Amino acid sequence: MNPDPQDNFENRLRAALQPVEPSEGFADRVMTRIAADAVKRARMGASRWFVMALAASLVAAIVVGEQWQRRQEQAGIEARRQLLEALRVTREKLDLAYQVVNSEARSPSRDAGS
Amino acid sequence: MARADGHGVTEWETRQADEVLVRARGGDTAAFAELVRAQQRMVFSLGVRMLADRQKAEDLAQDVFLQLHRKLSSIQSGAHLAPWLRQVTARKAIDRLRREPKHEVELTAAEGCAVEEQDADPLLEQQLRGLLGELSPHARAVIVLRFQDDLDPVDIARALDMSVNTVKSHLQRSLTFLRERATRKNLQASIRPLRAVNATREPT
Repeated sequence: MNPDPQDNFENRLRAALQPVEPSEGFADRVMTRIAADAVKRARMGASRWFVMALAASLVAAIVVGEQWQRRQEQAGIEARRQLLEALRVTREKLDLAYQVVNSEARSPSRDAGS
Repeated sequence: MARADGHGVTEWETRQADEVLVRARGGDTAAFAELVRAQQRMVFSLGVRMLADRQKAEDLAQDVFLQLHRKLSSIQSGAHLAPWLRQVTARKAIDRLRREPKHEVELTAAEGCAVEEQDADPLLEQQLRGLLGELSPHARAVIVLRFQDDLDPVDIARALDMSVNTVKSHLQRSLTFLRERATRKNLQASIRPLRAVNATREPT
């Protein structure tokens, strides 16, 4: 009985694709690379922490700066309000004084006329 | 039929993989090295057949084991180890082939392997390995997993994240293509010497 040509071809393919071993010391090279990767990741982790700490400091500085600026603005607004209030009070006092002076100035002429 | 990755590996998988995996997860580097040694043949072979270059296959295999080291906790048991490695290797190889502008490979002697069969035809086998480079990355992966790792279409479908019907279709089309191309090359190879003989016989 002749062998099936299809099976024969598949057997040829199977023979052509026999597993091959990597070169000597492959596992050692993998372990070396893993160790190097661990060091690199640790460094990256440390530098990541540094970057994160720097970023956090910057954010904190910005927030504090903004709060200080807001406080300054509020203090300015309050000072303006107080100034306006002082001016209003002064104006009232001056008006009052003006009225008093005016009324006193009129009174002697009325007395003199009577 | 015995598994293509070797009977020893299968026994290792069933008997010791769980224990070694637990030790490797605990940070035991010797245990992880043992894992590498047990699986390196399967991972490297898949890489060589896919990329047709020993150096590229070595880089790929190292990347795969590096990824394994990082994701050891996600491997549920020793039985999941080989399928996980096969899946990651095949996908990485396909990604690399897609990134390369040309899929065809030029096979050198380094990619070949010693065939122990008495009736082996090293030339035809070398041709077949070279013809693999003319297949698409997915079709190549299907053929390699079928004929090197001896996986059935269901396992191939799982490894390559494709349907079983797609796997069967790839297998059928790729086998037809390889058979036709191998036959044509063999014919050309046998015609060429005849032409040379006829040319020397022709009167000047």
